[in-house]
Amino acid sequence: MKTIICRHCDMVSKIPFISRKHVAKCSRCNSTVYKNTKFNPPAMLALCLTALFICYPAFILPLISLHMLKITEGTALIDGPLMFLHSDPIVAITVFFCAVVAPVLLLLSIAYSSLCIMINHYPIYLPKVFKLTRALIHWSMLDVYMLSILVSISKLLHYADLYVGIGFYFFVALLLVDMTIIANYSNDYYWKLFHQRNHEHHNQLKVNC
Amino acid sequence: MSKFAVNGRSAIEQGLQACPICTCISEFKVYPDHCPVCRNTISVRKKNSLQLTWALIITAAILLIPANLFPITILLKNGTENPDTIFSGISSLIKTGMPGIAIIVFFASFVVPILKILILTLISLSIHFKWNLSTTKQLYAHKAIDFIGKWSVLDLFVISIMSAVFNKGVLLSVYPGTGASAFTLVIITTLFATRTFDTRLIWDTTNNG
Repeated sequence: MKTIICRHCDMVSKIPFISRKHVAKCSRCNSTVYKNTKFNPPAMLALCLTALFICYPAFILPLISLHMLKITEGTALIDGPLMFLHSDPIVAITVFFCAVVAPVLLLLSIAYSSLCIMINHYPIYLPKVFKLTRALIHWSMLDVYMLSILVSISKLLHYADLYVGIGFYFFVALLLVDMTIIANYSNDYYWKLFHQRNHEHHNQLKVNC
Repeated sequence: MSKFAVNGRSAIEQGLQACPICTCISEFKVYPDHCPVCRNTISVRKKNSLQLTWALIITAAILLIPANLFPITILLKNGTENPDTIFSGISSLIKTGMPGIAIIVFFASFVVPILKILILTLISLSIHFKWNLSTTKQLYAHKAIDFIGKWSVLDLFVISIMSAVFNKGVLLSVYPGTGASAFTLVIITTLFATRTFDTRLIWDTTNNG
C-alpha cells in the first residue's frame, strides 16, 4: 500500500501495488495519480540514446525541398529560427526552444537519470534532474511541429514543386521514438527507485513515502 | 510521521502536503518551506497562484489585440509587400480551396488562445467569488486547456518553415510581422498562466464556502 495525495484535487488515496499496464486514478477527480512504466531504466536509456542519435540528422538535413526555376533548395528544421533571429528574436527563440532545445534537453535528462539508476549512482542533484524532466515534458513540441510541417506542405503545394527531404524521414523516426519515451516515462517509478535507495542508506528518515 | 493519512479526505484537512516533485507526504506545520526528502522548496498551495494567473491572463488579453490586428506574416512578392493578419491568412486559405487546413489554423491560432483566457478567467472568478460551479467540470476545463495549449504554437512553426523555405529562393520571401511577436507572447503567457494556476484551489473554496 502506498499513500498518495492527488496533485489536482488534494485528495488522499491509498493505492495497492500497480502492475505495469495499469494506472491508479484519484477517487474524487478521476485524474491519474500513479503510473507505472513498461520499460525499465536500461530500455529507457537505449531509447533516449537512439532518439539523440536521430536528432542530429533530423534537425540538420532538409525536411522539404522546393523545386523552383530549375533550382532545388532544401530547408532544414533549424533554418527557420536562424533566419529571423535578428529581425524577430521573440518568435525565433520560442520556435528554437520548443522545437530543438526542449526535446534535446528532455532526452538528455531522461537518459542521464536512467543511467544514474542503472549504475546505482545517486548524485545529490538527481532530484533537480527529475524536476527538470517534469517541467520540460510540457515544452517539447515535436508533435506540434509534425502537424505544422504537413500544414506548410499543403500551403506550399500552390507555389512550387515540392519534395520531401531525407530529414523528414529522420524527423518522423525521431517523433515516434520521442512519443514512446514520453508516453512511457514514469516520474513516480524513478522516484520510487530513488527513495528505496535513500531508505537503505538513511533509515532514520521518518517520513512515509 | 506522527499520524497516518486517512483515505478519502483532503490532505489540507489532515495537515498534510505532498511534495510536487517527489510526491512524498509531510506535515506542513513541521516542514513549512522544504521537502524533508528531496530538499526542494515546498508549499501547501502554489504560492501567489491566483495573482500570477490573473497577471498573466490580463497580459495575454491585452496582447491578443495587436496579435490579431497587426500582420503576422509579410509576403514579399515582386517587390511589393503583402501583409497577412491571422484572419486574412485563414480567409485566403478558404479561398484557395483548403478549408481543412483553414479550420486547423483557425482553431490553433484563434480559438485556443481565446478559449484559454476565457476558461481561466471563469475558474479564477468562481474561486474568487465562491460561485458554486461543479468542481469536476472546472477541473476538466482546466485539463482541456492544459492539453490543447501547446497546439497554438502551430502557427509559429508554420511561419518559421514558410519563411525558411521562401527566403532560400529569389522570387518570393516571407518574414514574420509585428503581430507574430505579440502572438508568441500571448501563447507564452497563456501557457504559463495554465501552469501557475493551482487546481486544488477549486476544492478549497467549495469546502470552506
